[in-house]
Amino acid sequence: MSKILIVAEVKNGEIKKNTLELISFAKSQGLENEALLIGSGVSGQADILAGQGASTVYLGDDPSLEIYNTEQYTALVSDAILQSGATQVWLSSSEMGRDLTPRVAARQSVGALSDVTQLEISGDEITAYRPCMSTKVIQKCKFSKDGLRVISVRSGFFAADETSPATAKTVSLSIPEGHSKLKVKEVQVEVSDEVELNEASIVVSAGRGVGGTEGCDFVKPLATDLGAAFGASRAVCDAGWLPHKHQVGQTGTMVTPDFYFALGISGAIQHLAGMSGSKVIIAVNKDPDAPIFKVADYGIVGDLFKAVPVLREEVQKLKA
Amino acid sequence: MEIIVPIKQVPDVALNIKVKDGAVVEEGLSYVISSWDETALEAALQMTEDVGGEVTLLTVGPEKASESLRKGLAMGAHKAIHVKYDFAKETDSFAYAKILQKVLEGRNYDLILTGKQAQDTDAGLTAPMLAEFLGLPQVTNIIRFSDVSDQKITLFRQGDHATEVLEMNLPGVITVNDSLNEPRLASMRGIMMAKKKPLEEVDLDALGVSSEMRGAQASMTEVLQYDKPESRKEGKIFEGDEADTVKQAIELLVSEAKFLA
Repeated sequence: MSKILIVAEVKNGEIKKNTLELISFAKSQGLENEALLIGSGVSGQADILAGQGASTVYLGDDPSLEIYNTEQYTALVSDAILQSGATQVWLSSSEMGRDLTPRVAARQSVGALSDVTQLEISGDEITAYRPCMSTKVIQKCKFSKDGLRVISVRSGFFAADETSPATAKTVSLSIPEGHSKLKVKEVQVEVSDEVELNEASIVVSAGRGVGGTEGCDFVKPLATDLGAAFGASRAVCDAGWLPHKHQVGQTGTMVTPDFYFALGISGAIQHLAGMSGSKVIIAVNKDPDAPIFKVADYGIVGDLFKAVPVLREEVQKLKA
Repeated sequence: MEIIVPIKQVPDVALNIKVKDGAVVEEGLSYVISSWDETALEAALQMTEDVGGEVTLLTVGPEKASESLRKGLAMGAHKAIHVKYDFAKETDSFAYAKILQKVLEGRNYDLILTGKQAQDTDAGLTAPMLAEFLGLPQVTNIIRFSDVSDQKITLFRQGDHATEVLEMNLPGVITVNDSLNEPRLASMRGIMMAKKKPLEEVDLDALGVSSEMRGAQASMTEVLQYDKPESRKEGKIFEGDEADTVKQAIELLVSEAKFLA
């Protein structure tokens, strides 16, 4: 019997949308799924996972687990695999998932398929589709040997059902030791109530064309007006105009919102790979030959400093 | 300090990639060092310039991968190891990690430093798998480092919700984000010197990589076919006074795409 173990992700004490998407997809395929919830003070969230459809929730709840770390999280996933008898492990391809997926697979002596955007599942036969070569090509893959299936799935490609919490059946795991050779010196949490890039339905991104931190401040209110996540190109983050967590692209966050506003972004290949899955792309750039116009549904050739105030005005009218 | 930089020679993804009959068309591809691996090499060079030691490039690949090793040597790496390998198409990350483990066991190093993923597969699996097989700690996706010595290093990892500052006792495995640096270009002198630098060729048999450890036999996953992604439909371009063009674009955005509907 196939059974899926879904590794949950938490932000500010709440289950992230990428996790709910995974559980909803497993349920839609009629597959039994259990979840593993790791963090500090997160046990109360088990009922959310149960409501979504997880039949059992394994818990690793300890102050030492507040921030993701490879060693303890890998040990907890391995323990949960053992206890649940799962035949598949599903993770999200977040920064946590990118670090954890291969480590978990290697510990189980199996391979993995990462950053999957489409799945066809029949028991433990998995056909996975994943973008590669900067999203210029899609690979159709499968596991070629028997054994545990470990996959990571990109967020935004599966729908999350709206559900109510239900009383979870929980199993508490013992807390493993951290790595003796790795010490956390400091965690620079950029606490914010900003919308997360990979969960947003609208993303407004600033590129080199904004010219500096003042330009970022000029563009940001449009994101606020729209309830959108605020993104940026690599050039903006490398220049220090915005922290790296805002970066959209293969280095940074891959996004798939309903609407993506690219303001002053020329469209370097790694940026395009990270946002060209957006449903509708709106670009403003002075350079009519900018590569961003090749993927834009609505391309405005012009000055973003003139365009943004008009955009804000129109958005205000629409919202009124 | 002794740093190993595993690099992968990949098709230049900045160029047009064609697909025919479920496969990537070889003709017209040009091959380069995967860009994240170049970032790793640059970081390794900076570390050894700072505290001394040597940078060793390592690749598992076909004959032509030696061009990428020479390029890395020209950038400043001290020596290179080329494991001759002709099964790239059928080889997955798991199998690569096993071969790299075989190469590295018994060698002396303080640090393994490589890109966060390779530009051909974009999988990002090999380095953490290698770390697990070697029983080493890993820190992925670093955007900065400091306090380098051959005993330990401080790393700034870009996590999902925070920058994590970690101190790693060596040896260990690190993967880099490309915001870490801008890799240097090889100088003319570097290119000349690269020709004389040691490039060790390793044969799979001599390494003890049996046929079961090669290609499809050793791999846990396989690619069935390649396709082009659905192409986006042609967009509309607006030129002229922003006060007009933005309004026109928003009108269509509302009527066609149900923006803020």
